[in-house]
Amino acid sequence: MQLCLTKGATRHLVKGALLLFALVSVACAAPRTPSNETEVLERLPLRPADSTARELATLRATARQMPTNAQALVPLAQRYFDLAAARGDPRYLGYAEAVLQPLYATPTAEVLLVRGQLRQYRHDFDGALADFAAALALNPDLASAHAWRAAIYLVRMDNAAARKECTALQNLKRSTLLGGCLGLAQAYSGQLASAYATLAHTLTGASDVDNRLWLLTRMAEVAAWQGQPSLAERHYREALVISRDDVYLLAAWADFLLDNGRHNEVVKWLSDWSTSDSLLLRLTEAETTLKLPLAPRHQQAMADRFAAAQARGDTTHRAEEARFQLHLRGDTAKALQLASANYQVQREPRDARVLLEAAIAARDSTAAQGVRTWLRTSGFEDPRLRQLGQASVLPGAPPTQPTKTP
Amino acid sequence: MMPILNYALFTRLVRWQARLLLLFGLILSAPTWAHKASDSYLILNVQGADISGQWDIALRDIDFALGLDRDGNSEITWGELRARQSELAAWALGRLSLQRGGACALTLLSDQVDEHTDGQYAVLRISGSCPVASGPLDLNYRLLFDVDALHRGLLKLKLDGITQSAVLGPTTGVQQFQGGQASRLAQFVQYLGEGVWHIWIGFDHILFLLSLLLPAVLIHESRHWRGVGDFGTALREVLWVVTAFTAAHSITLTLAALRLVELPSRVVESAIAASVVLAALNNLMPVVERRRWIVAFVFGLIHGFGFASVLAELGLPQETLVLSLLGFNLGVEAGQLAIVAAFLPLAFWLRNTRFYRRGVFVGGSLLTLALAVVWLLERLFDLKLIGA
Repeated sequence: MQLCLTKGATRHLVKGALLLFALVSVACAAPRTPSNETEVLERLPLRPADSTARELATLRATARQMPTNAQALVPLAQRYFDLAAARGDPRYLGYAEAVLQPLYATPTAEVLLVRGQLRQYRHDFDGALADFAAALALNPDLASAHAWRAAIYLVRMDNAAARKECTALQNLKRSTLLGGCLGLAQAYSGQLASAYATLAHTLTGASDVDNRLWLLTRMAEVAAWQGQPSLAERHYREALVISRDDVYLLAAWADFLLDNGRHNEVVKWLSDWSTSDSLLLRLTEAETTLKLPLAPRHQQAMADRFAAAQARGDTTHRAEEARFQLHLRGDTAKALQLASANYQVQREPRDARVLLEAAIAARDSTAAQGVRTWLRTSGFEDPRLRQLGQASVLPGAPPTQPTKTP
Repeated sequence: MMPILNYALFTRLVRWQARLLLLFGLILSAPTWAHKASDSYLILNVQGADISGQWDIALRDIDFALGLDRDGNSEITWGELRARQSELAAWALGRLSLQRGGACALTLLSDQVDEHTDGQYAVLRISGSCPVASGPLDLNYRLLFDVDALHRGLLKLKLDGITQSAVLGPTTGVQQFQGGQASRLAQFVQYLGEGVWHIWIGFDHILFLLSLLLPAVLIHESRHWRGVGDFGTALREVLWVVTAFTAAHSITLTLAALRLVELPSRVVESAIAASVVLAALNNLMPVVERRRWIVAFVFGLIHGFGFASVLAELGLPQETLVLSLLGFNLGVEAGQLAIVAAFLPLAFWLRNTRFYRRGVFVGGSLLTLALAVVWLLERLFDLKLIGA
């Protein structure tokens, strides 16, 4: 039984026209002793009979037998990490970290590779880069270490460094990883047509479904930046029919739908995904625009989750929180502060966009200076982002491009 | 020893919420939980050598460490959790230690659950005692770190009246906290907050007050209600009622907190329910019309005893007794004023509408009456009429 009346529910009371009871705010839940033995308190994410659960059980059994053997522990840690990424569930990161911990004294290249992934997930990019460098020092042929380094450089918008990693992948003859690396590096440096061609060419040679899903998602994004929504939609749908849990794909698809005013479809796609913070954000934006009854409740849920993350000192959700404050709470000052802090760490187009939007809303031209510089020097072609960049130069605001030197 | 959380009050609150939901037919869909990293919530109250507190640990985490889902259907039932209570307590107890002049003896009782943003938690109630009643407190927290390196314990510690908080992780799980004299201002502010909070969650107090305030914007004339002419009239009426209520419950709250007068809680609780019944009834069939402040005063005396029981369970530190009492009382007043400030302009604005006079005034009073009659019967006969 739901015992916690959210603000949303309180709003229903108001709508129910009972002034008297609307004023009676109901506190959140409190400890209770269930009266019924069969009451279901919690649903676990995996059934013991699921293939994922069986796979984990096998890996765990092997790990228990050889508790200090990297070859037994790394596959389990890697599986936990993959689950965290696919489902957006950070508990698996903690499990992976605990599995690896006994190996940190004398880490192998594989251990460092997984630890680097865990660190980059928590936005400890410097720590992750150090791990990947150490892994490559032990094993120069470790292509995924190059790929992960490229991904971090791309998030930081360090295109030159990213391209060096692409070259390394080329030398290792890893064509799929190379295609992904080069495609993104081209896209972020203002060559959307070549980026699309690179990704499309890579797709023809990719047979692994996870790789195909990733490439299709990126092609869809590039097509949308190029102003070709129908092509973008085709690629998104091709990726979605692969029907794998992938939070990144669903988030990108939802953003695409939101940009095209298709809020109803966002609700349809994401209504079962409210457990993921980033997907709940998109769902709530759509519900709020459509004025659906669940919107206030989901807004409150988001606020509670950000508060919970803050309580443990977690700052990895700043981009999402900025969007939440800007679009759903209308707190432009807070949104701008979060978006600026996030942009110090992550600089992909979506990070740039939320900073521009927040800066425009807060009428703070200076805050968007960094994004405008990137747009100018990179030549990133997305017309929407370029428009926002122009709009962020406010009339009456100090000039943002040095026109005169003293 | 005073428990840090007022369990009686909270379980009562839970039952009321369940009832309110039933009464208004507010069926909320089953919650879907967020994904977040694992946290436990540890609340400790160390007063001298006495320890009390509460420790909330996620069922998902307990399952990961101990395996709760015996039948493998991916659902954890209350039965499955209850069967493992002693094992759970032993497991958790092995991962928390406190020292004050030597190891403190702790016991954990696990017979409750609660919900947080990411799901249901087992609630472990902590009690214990330390060898020494003063000096620093050493804490060693190591829950789940062996299986989940990102687990954190979110600690809220009240040490000799001073509240402090900490995030306990693998490298910060061992900490020392300094005891000392309660800072008077911090103490005052803390009890002020408690006062606001307890009027806010005290439905019977709020409903009583609102029942008296609802007619403040109306005048009863020849068996009909009409809106008052000006805001001043309504404001005067409200001020009389609120002042009388405040004065009365301040008197009894103080008398009871200082243990000069003590009444059995069942009598107090029943009388409070009766006061709500009478106040609501008076709106539907007016007997007292002119001097509602007298009603507010008389019943306010009873409500004061109700506040006192809350305060007693919170624990009043002897060293700052008067200050804490004052803070709590002022907090209650502030909470009340906030309710009045929200109520009065809205009620005045709507006073001449049919919506207010039929829907809010009559409808609200009827619902209040229904709810209060149930409370009264339950408290008089110690029944459970509407199950939670």
